[in-house]
Amino acid sequence: MAGLEVRDVVVHYVDDDGRTATAVDGLSLDVAPGEVVALLGPSGSGKSSLLRAVAGLEPLSAGSVAWDGHDLAGVPVHRRGFGLMFQDGQLFPHRDVGANVAFGLEMQRAPREVRRARVAELLELVGLPGFADRDVATLSGGERQRVALARSLAPRPRLLLLDEPLSALDRALRERLAGEVREALTSTGTTAVFVTHDHDEAYAVADRIAVMDLGRLLQVDPPADLWHRPASRRVAEFLGYQAFVEVGRASVAVREAVGVGVDVEGCVALGPGSLVPDDDGAVVGTVVAAGFRRGVTELDVDVPEVGRVTAVVPATRADGDAHRPGAQVRLRVEPAAVAVLPE
Amino acid sequence: MDGHGARLNRRGAVGRGAAWGLAVAVPLAFLGLFFALPVGTLVARGFWPDGALDLSGFVEVFSRPRTWRVIGLTLAQATVATAVVVLLGVPGAHVLYRRTFRGRGALRAFVVVPFVLPTVVVGVAFRSVLAPHGPLGFLGWDGTFAGVVAALVFFNYAVLVRTVGGYWATLDPRAEQAARALGASPLRAFVQVTLPALVPAIASGAAIVFLFCATAFGVVLVLGGPRYGTVETEIWVQTTQFLDLRAAAVLSVVQLVVIAAALAVAGRARSRRERTLAQGSTTAVERPLRLRGPGRSAADGAAVAVTALALAFLALPLVTVALRSLRTPRGWGLDNYVALGTTGGPNALSVTVWDAAVTSLRIALDATVLAVVVGGLVALVVSRRPRSRPLRRAVGVLDAVVMLPLGVSAVTVGFGFLLTMDRPLGLDLDLRSSPVLIPIAQAVVATPLVVRTVLPVLRAIDSRLHEAAAVLGAPPGRVLRLVDWPIAARSAGLALGLAFAVSLGEFGATAFLARPERPTLPVVIFRLIGRPGAENLGMALAASVVLALMTATAIALAERLRPGVAGDV
Repeated sequence: MAGLEVRDVVVHYVDDDGRTATAVDGLSLDVAPGEVVALLGPSGSGKSSLLRAVAGLEPLSAGSVAWDGHDLAGVPVHRRGFGLMFQDGQLFPHRDVGANVAFGLEMQRAPREVRRARVAELLELVGLPGFADRDVATLSGGERQRVALARSLAPRPRLLLLDEPLSALDRALRERLAGEVREALTSTGTTAVFVTHDHDEAYAVADRIAVMDLGRLLQVDPPADLWHRPASRRVAEFLGYQAFVEVGRASVAVREAVGVGVDVEGCVALGPGSLVPDDDGAVVGTVVAAGFRRGVTELDVDVPEVGRVTAVVPATRADGDAHRPGAQVRLRVEPAAVAVLPE
Repeated sequence: MDGHGARLNRRGAVGRGAAWGLAVAVPLAFLGLFFALPVGTLVARGFWPDGALDLSGFVEVFSRPRTWRVIGLTLAQATVATAVVVLLGVPGAHVLYRRTFRGRGALRAFVVVPFVLPTVVVGVAFRSVLAPHGPLGFLGWDGTFAGVVAALVFFNYAVLVRTVGGYWATLDPRAEQAARALGASPLRAFVQVTLPALVPAIASGAAIVFLFCATAFGVVLVLGGPRYGTVETEIWVQTTQFLDLRAAAVLSVVQLVVIAAALAVAGRARSRRERTLAQGSTTAVERPLRLRGPGRSAADGAAVAVTALALAFLALPLVTVALRSLRTPRGWGLDNYVALGTTGGPNALSVTVWDAAVTSLRIALDATVLAVVVGGLVALVVSRRPRSRPLRRAVGVLDAVVMLPLGVSAVTVGFGFLLTMDRPLGLDLDLRSSPVLIPIAQAVVATPLVVRTVLPVLRAIDSRLHEAAAVLGAPPGRVLRLVDWPIAARSAGLALGLAFAVSLGEFGATAFLARPERPTLPVVIFRLIGRPGAENLGMALAASVVLALMTATAIALAERLRPGVAGDV
């Protein structure tokens, strides 16, 4: 098997008082060459520990990490040929932008001309042409992360590990950079593992998303599959599904919308946007709260037998009183936002 | 991973282990041979006078009223001086590190001058201030408790200002702002929010000040006269004048206990501070100092008043020495400086003062190289955070052990040298007459300061910076060379300057070791003030000015190499 193979990896931490905590608990994951996998999970789920273990920065308590079939046990960090990008960049403060980007090339003993050309190429790629002579202290947060990305890509790592690389940035910049990171990774054909706790970022960047919780993987799938077919209620909850109804107890309207018979074992999960206000809708709910969000109105609707679900209405000036808390609304089911869980 | 690569890695790991082993062994061997052995031998001489353990020395020495008086005096002087330093220094830290104004850089540099001044010079300076004809002669403090305390305050003000100020400047001001927004008056916000946050820094600084005060030697020897002393001067008196080694050994143990306690307090406060610092934010806010108009504050006014008073107090002895060095029996003139080319009055000196100055420079240069190599290695080792717990503990122990010379009496070290270096480790090699002994002794004294200067800078390097370099393909050796070294090198400049200044002014150990035909400048100054005659005193003052200028130049050069981050002094 080519690419990264993580097998039954266990990572323990021992704190100063001698207590042991398990950060990664028997996890396996494959990443094919050229593939970008996002590790998505809440804080403390062990994502960063797994990443550090792959990089060789944390010792494995059990299991193995292999690249192209070669076990990496005993291969020190600096010989793995992997890249790692930190949340806060960790640029070398005593080197200018160009020297930061060139660091990995110096380690490979690349000739000066090669280094200079590659630095210029990478700075161009991350949208900072001409920044080579700048002092890193003068960079903004977004610029620092771009330099960090250029620095990690410069030595052409076999695998790039990105540890929440955009989390320290503000929302607008994060959304823009997520697209640019994807662009940079695919255009260079880089194999990458991208750790994040931000769902949108994971969807924007990854070929496949691995959902992680409590040191284990819950599901690994391409973004659309993950969203439409969560493997379990826990994954669905984590992805943002709000209401869960056993198929047998779901209303006809809901069952018909997703096309399951009453005798199917399992559970219907309704996500935000699964109910859309529609005067001909078959479902009736009571508005609990209404909120305005970037171009849409979100209604918190209480539906009998289902529970609370967020219904999304394109914001129109005429809405007025129709969606006051306490008002009754008719809703239709949007099949794309409803998932059927196998349990 | 193929077999060849695995072998390479194993060889790399063995080489690294050997390199770290060497980095630990060199300083340990140096400090073991030139610190633990002499001090241990001296103490052993006291307890095993005839080859058998004899603790009656303790009983006998502690039954002397003189011993208790000296211990009481040491603690009283150090406590009072530390309290005064804290009261004066906290407002000073506020003004010099939290407010911006024109000339602040110059004032910050000026504050350090007394600390790096040779103790003998400080003694001479205070004598000329407090003498009956001096500017503060009317206080009648010459040769009194108050006089000694004043000199100790003068000497240590900078230690507290820099320790507290450096920390205060990085303290997130938003906690205090939050308290103000919640309705606290400026005073309450300071007392209930800022002050508790400063306590670790103040405790750490105060413990170091206490340590320096409790082990003061040159200052007390010059100022205290026969009535006031410290345990340290008493060790000197007992060994050189009464030849009572047993009493000296007992007193050395007493001092060791006092110092260990002060160091433990300082260490605990420091580790707490480093932890808070690690979590702290970097959004430090310095505001311009305004004493008039909108934005002025009564607290700033009071702090400025206290600081101005303190600075005047620091300036007075310096100015007095400079002025009096220019006074001759025939009015103002450079006669005293001209006399530096002579050997002074009858029987005063065996060499000219300029010769002694050259000797001092040469010795200080050697001592600096030694101290920076040994201290740099220690700082490097101690700054590591090994993964294994026993190793981490060992690093902590090393950190504590190398601080001991900071507190152990330099006099003890010097005298221990004389006892052990006739046959070091049984080798037939009499080092007592060797010129290498003085720089070694001075390096022992200066090493802890080097460690304390370089260590905070090395520790402040984020471990992820090392990881970033390693992931980019840098083997451990190159990480050290390409990441740690360039960042620490700037603090190495300051360490060089400090070590040089300390060596130039070192008196306690040198007083024992300097041979009569090759004295250092502090030794010459001490000898000159011990001789009668206005001519000798004038020469001593001029020599003090020369020594102070040499020290200040070393520090000023080092300050230019100083990074933005403040280390402990």
